[in-house]
Amino acid sequence: MRIFLTLTALVAAIALWWWIFPPHPGWSEDELVSIQNIWLESLPALPDDPTNSVADDADAQILGHRLFFDLRMSATGTTSCATCHQPQRGFSDGLALSVAIGQTKRNAPGIAGLAWSPWLYWDGRKDSLWAQALSPLEDAVEHGGSRLMFAHLIHTDEPYRALYEKVFGPLPALDDRSRFPIAGGPLASDEGRAAWDAMDPDDQREINRLFSNLGKAIAAYERLLVHGSSRFDRYVAELMETGDSEQLAGSELRGLRLFINEANCTQCHNGPLLTNNAFHNTGLLSLPGKLPDIGRSAGLRKVRDDEFNCLGPYSDNPTVCDELVYAGSGKENVGAMKAPSLRNLADTQPYGHAGQFATLGEVLDHYNEAPDAMIGHNEAKPLDLWPWQVVDLEAFLLTLQAPLATDPSWLEPPDQ
Amino acid sequence: MRERRFLHTIPWMQQLFIAFFYLLYLASILTPGYASAHGGVVLEDDLCVINVGFYQAHFTIFQPINTQHEQFCEDLPGTGESVFVLEYLHDGLEQLPVDFRIIRNVTGMGLFAGVNDVEALGDLDVVTEFYHPPVTEPDAFAVLHEFAEPGAFIGIVTAVHPDTDTLYTAVFPFEVGAFGLNYPLIAVGVVLGLLAVLAVSSRWRSGGATVATLCAGLLLPMTADAAEIEDVVSADGYYRVTAISRIHPLAINQMHAWELQVFDRSGQPVINANISVSGGMPAHDHGLPTDPRITRELGEGRYLLEGVKFHMRGAWELYVLIDATGRPDTATLSLEL
Repeated sequence: MRIFLTLTALVAAIALWWWIFPPHPGWSEDELVSIQNIWLESLPALPDDPTNSVADDADAQILGHRLFFDLRMSATGTTSCATCHQPQRGFSDGLALSVAIGQTKRNAPGIAGLAWSPWLYWDGRKDSLWAQALSPLEDAVEHGGSRLMFAHLIHTDEPYRALYEKVFGPLPALDDRSRFPIAGGPLASDEGRAAWDAMDPDDQREINRLFSNLGKAIAAYERLLVHGSSRFDRYVAELMETGDSEQLAGSELRGLRLFINEANCTQCHNGPLLTNNAFHNTGLLSLPGKLPDIGRSAGLRKVRDDEFNCLGPYSDNPTVCDELVYAGSGKENVGAMKAPSLRNLADTQPYGHAGQFATLGEVLDHYNEAPDAMIGHNEAKPLDLWPWQVVDLEAFLLTLQAPLATDPSWLEPPDQ
Repeated sequence: MRERRFLHTIPWMQQLFIAFFYLLYLASILTPGYASAHGGVVLEDDLCVINVGFYQAHFTIFQPINTQHEQFCEDLPGTGESVFVLEYLHDGLEQLPVDFRIIRNVTGMGLFAGVNDVEALGDLDVVTEFYHPPVTEPDAFAVLHEFAEPGAFIGIVTAVHPDTDTLYTAVFPFEVGAFGLNYPLIAVGVVLGLLAVLAVSSRWRSGGATVATLCAGLLLPMTADAAEIEDVVSADGYYRVTAISRIHPLAINQMHAWELQVFDRSGQPVINANISVSGGMPAHDHGLPTDPRITRELGEGRYLLEGVKFHMRGAWELYVLIDATGRPDTATLSLEL
């Protein structure tokens, strides 16, 4: 009797062990295709940006690099792009809500690989890297500047002026302060707005052109920030070449299997950058004291009205704007946010559009549960994964960690 | 001897377990929140729907700090920060200025207070707990209020038609904090739970599984080659549509065009038709990520559909609404990516 009980217990224990830690049985044909789909080697070449004629210009990259790290690009002299997009933190800032001059409403995402995205910002309210780069410069809680202020900085700083004119041609006659006041813009507060409104429309257009060129230079720099090969990518490379690889093991392999199968992750996090760059409502909770975020629905209205969009007068080719022209306007945009890349997640915590989740585990628990959305409709369905499966998924996600495939000199402030 | 008895108990234990979890589940969906609709808010297919005149809106309240994602139709379990979300179900309401007021329920009518009782109060300002002035919101109307104390309140949503000055009002009494379980509904839940246990433990289960398998089979996409969908007949049979993707093979996350070939019943090409296209993933409850359009007629019943993009793998449907000579009809194209 006792032997029988002992044997039963032993068999049960082994069965339980195999259930929780199933051995890796190899990949099916379909699974191999899914794995190859998220492999970095499958990434298409850096897409052209016809709306930015200096997108790949070497001098524009240098100018953009300087602008990106320059604290003078703010009203207070305390904020640059790198304040919230810090290279050592995956070009994010480690905060739930970013802090520049004031606190922003959203979490600063990492910016590597964004050249592949047709939409920028969580709500996609910008449709190019260069148009995006302009927005924080004039936001009162971010850089707090105005386009006239930035124009005068470029004009009065000799190295900037020389570099700018080399890339874009001569600056406007900014010495004439009656035509070009020292500060102001259409988004500035009372005084700056009044100064802007008093300007000749042709002069306004000249300043807008100059301002958009600064965005184009910053975009040229940001296009250099591309993901490097991670342990997962080396695993796939070896798997394709020899049919086997030791790069991933145990929990990581089980996590990969879940990722491409029952956890449904690749529905949105598909392709080599693990994002479809599209908008999804996944039912994140609003922050205390805040209303739920309308997300893409409001973002779409903003990008359509943006003077710096693909179709606008400052676009270098307004005939190639399919993304904007055919942008989806369905009800599912309410509360929807852009799916972020899952590469280098360890660098970019906290997670969620308002930094709702401190850890990856919290994110995964949220998707496992898929609770009701406060606004709109949660697209995700509950996964009902076991706790150890959630641990496996996290283990896999952390194998997507890799230094950027970018010359290290670009990741530091430039020598000036 | 002992083992045998243990084995004997297994089906019983299974049923007990299932019964227990069913009851837990039913209790969780039938107790506060869903169970407590009254006044101007009615439950329709598990939604809390509010009628503002003839306009309808989906109405929910959240207390994210205390109960996270839990939805309430009216009565709130506790005090504190509460987010009221009004989502418009009816086209039109998003064009009207809508205001939102919460007053202390001093009508003496409790949960049966109606529009007349509120009107009888006269000046609402003296009993107002919260007021949000009229706004026109294209998507949804959300407000946040922190209830300091429990009590009885009345929510008042008003929409004013700008042309006719007609006033549409919805009034719903609700309580904040400290309310009990809804015993009649729990009783119904217990009965339903027992029925469910019977269903699970009897032959119904295998019958149900067969039906489910049959349904799944019928829902499978009909096309093998996703880049070309041949000869789909529209719902009322007026048209036949063949669709050919301009990219082969089909790919996700890529903007592309399709050519639609439209024929009538007799196989003649349909020209000068008005065609609009929508679509989505039925299994995921969402539409296309883009708004594709017919941009050109290519002759002989061929039309160029531009701006198509699929952003997920899985089963997609495109709904092609064709209107030629006053006969609107929709062809549903299914494809698997």
